Amino acid sequence: MAITTTEHGDAHGDGAGHGDLAGSGGHHETAEQRDHKERLALWIFVGGDAVFLLLELFTWFYLRALNTGGLWRGTSCTKASPCTDGLGNPITQEIAKANPWYSVGVAALAVISALLIWAVERSSRNRDSRGVISGAAGLALLALLATVALQIYQFQVLPFTTIDGAYASTYEFFMGSTLAHLILVTFIGFGLWNRARQGRYDEGNWHRVRIIRFFAVWIAVTACVLTVVSSLFS
Amino acid sequence: MEDSPIGPRAGGLYRRQNFVTALGFGIVLGFIGWLVSHQLLQGSNWGSDMVVTVTMVAWVVGFNIGMGTFNAPIRWALGHDPSHEDELYAAGVGQGSSRYWKFCTDHKVVGTQYLVLVMVLFGVGGTLAMMIRTQLITPHSSFLDPQTYNAIVTIHGMCMIIATIIMVSGPFTNFVVPIMIGAKDMAFPRLNAMSFWVVVSAVPCLLSTFFLGGVNAGWTTYAPLSVQAPPAMDAFAITIITFVVSVTVAGINTIVTVITMRAKGMTMGRLPIFVWGSVIGGALGLYAMPAFLMAMTGMITDRVTGTSFFVPQVGGSAWLWENVFWIMGHPEVYVILLPPVAALLEVASTFSRKPVFGYKVLVAGMVAIASLSIMVWAHHMFTTGWAPDLAGPFMLTTELISIPTGIIFLCVIGTIWKGSIWTRLPMYFVYLFLWNFIIGGVTGIYLSDVPADQFFHGDMFVTAHFHYTLLGGAMIGATAALCYWFPKVTARMLNERIGKVAFWMIAIGIQITYFGQFWEGFQGMPRRVAYYDPIFLRANQMSTAGAYLLMLGWIVLLYAMIHSIRHGKRAPANPWYSKTLEWHVPTPVPMENFLVDPVVTSDPYTYGEPEPEEPSRPEPELVPVGTSEQSGTGGDV
Repeated sequence: MAITTTEHGDAHGDGAGHGDLAGSGGHHETAEQRDHKERLALWIFVGGDAVFLLLELFTWFYLRALNTGGLWRGTSCTKASPCTDGLGNPITQEIAKANPWYSVGVAALAVISALLIWAVERSSRNRDSRGVISGAAGLALLALLATVALQIYQFQVLPFTTIDGAYASTYEFFMGSTLAHLILVTFIGFGLWNRARQGRYDEGNWHRVRIIRFFAVWIAVTACVLTVVSSLFS
Repeated sequence: MEDSPIGPRAGGLYRRQNFVTALGFGIVLGFIGWLVSHQLLQGSNWGSDMVVTVTMVAWVVGFNIGMGTFNAPIRWALGHDPSHEDELYAAGVGQGSSRYWKFCTDHKVVGTQYLVLVMVLFGVGGTLAMMIRTQLITPHSSFLDPQTYNAIVTIHGMCMIIATIIMVSGPFTNFVVPIMIGAKDMAFPRLNAMSFWVVVSAVPCLLSTFFLGGVNAGWTTYAPLSVQAPPAMDAFAITIITFVVSVTVAGINTIVTVITMRAKGMTMGRLPIFVWGSVIGGALGLYAMPAFLMAMTGMITDRVTGTSFFVPQVGGSAWLWENVFWIMGHPEVYVILLPPVAALLEVASTFSRKPVFGYKVLVAGMVAIASLSIMVWAHHMFTTGWAPDLAGPFMLTTELISIPTGIIFLCVIGTIWKGSIWTRLPMYFVYLFLWNFIIGGVTGIYLSDVPADQFFHGDMFVTAHFHYTLLGGAMIGATAALCYWFPKVTARMLNERIGKVAFWMIAIGIQITYFGQFWEGFQGMPRRVAYYDPIFLRANQMSTAGAYLLMLGWIVLLYAMIHSIRHGKRAPANPWYSKTLEWHVPTPVPMENFLVDPVVTSDPYTYGEPEPEEPSRPEPELVPVGTSEQSGTGGDV
């Protein structure tokens, strides 16, 4: 490999040296380059997460279509021919469907959170005051916390538990998966609010908020998809 | 430390965190997790499983808190961004060899850490393999009882799968790829360090299974065996879930590094073939790992919360497990295989003094393999009764994948063909790969054929096939990579005399071991059995004798490495006169790799061509950060 060389410049003295990404290892890289790198990483992560989402949907439709032993929702179980739950107890009636409005509520709040993070991004880009930016970030954090709380509450009000057949299992798995994603994005939302409060977002680095918005939108999309599937195809 | 460019307080918490604090936090949090869960959950329906799960999760979290894995995200959230000095400290500046025990962001340190971890894992997996072969030396050996035997077979399998997935992408992708593309580090150095320490925290979970009743379900952990297994199965699942996090993070990092951090002039068409192999392998891992996560999460919820994903009696389906598992399982074979084969092509090109043959075809072939590998999973299920109508299409896709695989094989031969071959130790392993991989590949075609698979599926023929492929192919490729890059990583030349002794033991050991297993397979000996009929005795004795020779060969190679690190000749910067960039930086490699920014003006394999006119290249000087011992990697490994 033929190479020519150019002067390296200030390898360490400019604060853009080793591990400056905030750890980027990027050296002499501009904010745009760093943004490009982080956006690419996020999209790749979303790609992997999309595979996981597809597998969740595959699981739902596969078990629903197979309806092993009539235990998808226990529809074919009778007192004469009882199916059994995970503890060996007979299931003699159909498992009730979950109230879809909780899932719709979670999805709606996730969408609102994403929109509020979008508002933070726009405020940063428009050189709004620190108060406006941190206010929007605070609202986004509150929305995220409300989403997490509602998702946890939904576990309490389900008309079934994990042992009540495949429908119940998969439904709760969807909820658990959504909750895990929400906890992650809420942590990021806390950081967003805290950093906005410290005045760290402005027109020079609004793209840092955009990365968070992309992720929040993805979380909202997954919540919506899981809600639609679990509500319409039970 | 007087010359250290960083202050005594730089690094913050990182300064106080290392492997010992990680162990301490892991043990304490694990104990607290055990205590709390034992008090609260022991009486519940799945008490033991819940206790083990909580304990293992607490251990993993505690270990990573103690190591510093979560420092950066927490500091980010609190708005306490690290200073430049903190970054330098995290990169290992001024810490000598202690940085190998810390959360170090230097890609060369991470690569070296991975190398040691991989060797430890191979040591564990290899020891378990020897226990299996020792049990099988006679038909009714009392060396191991059947339950222990099954547990050992399972952990041998998973330990080796974990080790082989990271055996090239961990050490060599980390160490070499950034230099090969002209970058100064990986795109996300902290994520790089995180990927390593997360997988370290998974290893004790895997080994703990022996003390929790053993996982006796085989490495594929088919339901319902997995759901009925002792609590060790929970630790097994936590191991995999943790491993998935590591591989996902590492895959993202590799891809972003190559796409965004190439030096000026390093176009995609000029990337060394090893970089392509690392990227495609990493991308395929990002497809495969979510399926692993889905499978293991479903299994662990079946066990600890009574869900019914994989147990037919409660509405699940064992076929669901098999589908999800093999959606991961077959691409994973190529996650293992592509990086070492690509490394092997680097070796073949360097020692044949020829460009890689069919560069574009090779890249296309690797992409084709990756694409086809996601469409072949059900060939593992031909004998399970799932969707018989799909057996034909899956047979077709499986046989199709042999075409790009064959092309890559031909490209290795084409690279060597009529070259000015310089037969050094790494080249020996290229020849061995060619021999082994043709056997592994051809026997794979038999298994892709539905009628033949009906006969062979449950017997030792399959075991021999995949060992020829993964050990004879991938591991030998990785060994070629090790011998090739050893001087760059350790700054010492590998003792080739001892290395060649090891080579012949390994080469002959593989043939005896796995021809013995083909013989067992043809005779119809089933896999995963602790006792067997005496008619299989000869074949088993042959296989066991070969395995001992093979193990000795690896030990001799390890000795060669240790001996060379301690007493070996100092390595020059480019002992192989290779053309790729990693050989054009000093050895030991300085912090940030390049003393001057490289500008690439030609492709990486211009052997035999006159060097283009170059502007004067300044003599390398070490950058003013630490000493070479502090900032480079090597000499104190």
